[in-house]
Formats: sequence, C-alpha cells, structure tokens
Amino acid sequence: MTSLNHETVNGALVLKPSRRIDSSSAKAFEDEAAALLDKGPKKVVIDATDLDYISSAGLRVILTTAKKAKSAGGGLTIACAKNNVKEVLAVSGFDNIFGLHDSVAQAISSLA
Amino acid sequence: MSARIDMSLANDVQEVGRVIDTLEEFGAENGVPVAQSLRFGLVLDELITNIISYGLEGRSDGIITLSIEHRDGALHAELADNGPPFDPLATDTKPPVGDIETRDVGGLGLTLVKSFMDRLDYRRVDGLNRLTMEMKVKAA
Repeated sequence: MTSLNHETVNGALVLKPSRRIDSSSAKAFEDEAAALLDKGPKKVVIDATDLDYISSAGLRVILTTAKKAKSAGGGLTIACAKNNVKEVLAVSGFDNIFGLHDSVAQAISSLA
Repeated sequence: MSARIDMSLANDVQEVGRVIDTLEEFGAENGVPVAQSLRFGLVLDELITNIISYGLEGRSDGIITLSIEHRDGALHAELADNGPPFDPLATDTKPPVGDIETRDVGGLGLTLVKSFMDRLDYRRVDGLNRLTMEMKVKAA
C-alpha cells in the first residue's frame, strides 16, 4: 500500500493522492487523511494532479475528511482536477460543494 | 474483431482494484482511450461494490463473474453473482443534495453509473443476478 503523499504549505495540509481512489483504496486514504488531520491542520487541499480516477467511495471519504476539517474550524477544497475526476465531481455536484481550483496556491488562498 | 476477457471475482471489495487494473490493460490493448476505460471501470467499481456490500453481504460462497468485450465500437460487460435476487439499479438514484453538513451520498454511485452507460439491464436468470451493460467508445 503506497502511503499518501502530503505536505504542509502555509499552514494548509496538501494531500496528493496518486492514480485512483476506488472502493479498494478509499479506506486507506480516509485513515491516512484522518491521522494527518489529527496532528492539527484545519485547512485541507486535495491536489488532484496525479489523480486519474475517483469513484463514489472516494467521494465519500473526501466528504468525511471535509467534515472533519470543517468541524475543526477549517475546510477542504480541490485543486488541479483532471477531466475524468472533474466529470465525476460535476455529475455528483461535489464540484460546487468543495470548489475546484487551477492551482494549489489558489486553493490555499480560497481557504483563508 | 472482438476481444474478450473473463474474470471470476471473490466476494471482497479489494477485487475492484484488480478489475480496474485489468480493464486499463485490456483497453490499452484494444485502442480504447484511457479516460474511457476508466469511465467504464468506474461503473464496474460502483456495481461490484454494491453487489459485495448489499447483495452478497459477507457470504463465503459468494461468487461474481465478469466478462468484458470490445466489439462494434463499444465496451460491453456482463456481471453476474450468485446472491439472492438483487437489482443494484433499483435503488433511489436521485442525485444527492444538501451542503457539506447535511449531504448524504446514498444513491451517488448509481447516479454516476446511469450517466456513463449507454445501455444497462438487469435480469434474474437461473438463480443468478445478471447485469449487462454497454458503453460506446469514441476513438482517440
């Protein structure tokens, strides 16, 4: 199991999942994201540059991560989504819930 | 020309990863653009997850068979399982509404499935649930 790429930028936790968040990998993402959030950051950016695919299981765990960030007084947003992922976000309406940004920097500013 | 693969899946959600890997490879071998293989994979992800989570729930004798074909400019799949009568298409597919506090994701998977597939049918045949589906492929 690959561990979740992440870094902290200007106080925001930037998560960079790679390839897919599908039914078989969603739980691992959720658990790793939760562990990272427990360390303190409240603002979360999902950097989707390397994400080729997300299913409803993936959306579910992004939602739970977002709720966790929000209840800590922060929030979650998405940057650099590729077409396949954008499409799923649009069909599900999650693009409006989370907001999509063209860069990680813009995404972080939006959470200020 | 038709190309086909057949898979037998255990009743375990980890199989979804294997299905999508297989489908990406099959798509590459058959000139299907990656984005479309992944769209098709998304549909299978949702349907197989529903079968495992609800239809076959925990059964050690649960078996899922999947065949995938590329013919006539489309990807075709047939998904069958030996669980009790269960139509994963029959649940409420109203798109989820609400903001982040109240949003519920029930029905979301099927919203995605129905928007991506050109054809999708469920039948109960010989004690098996059978789903057949088709997605037209646009050449790269």
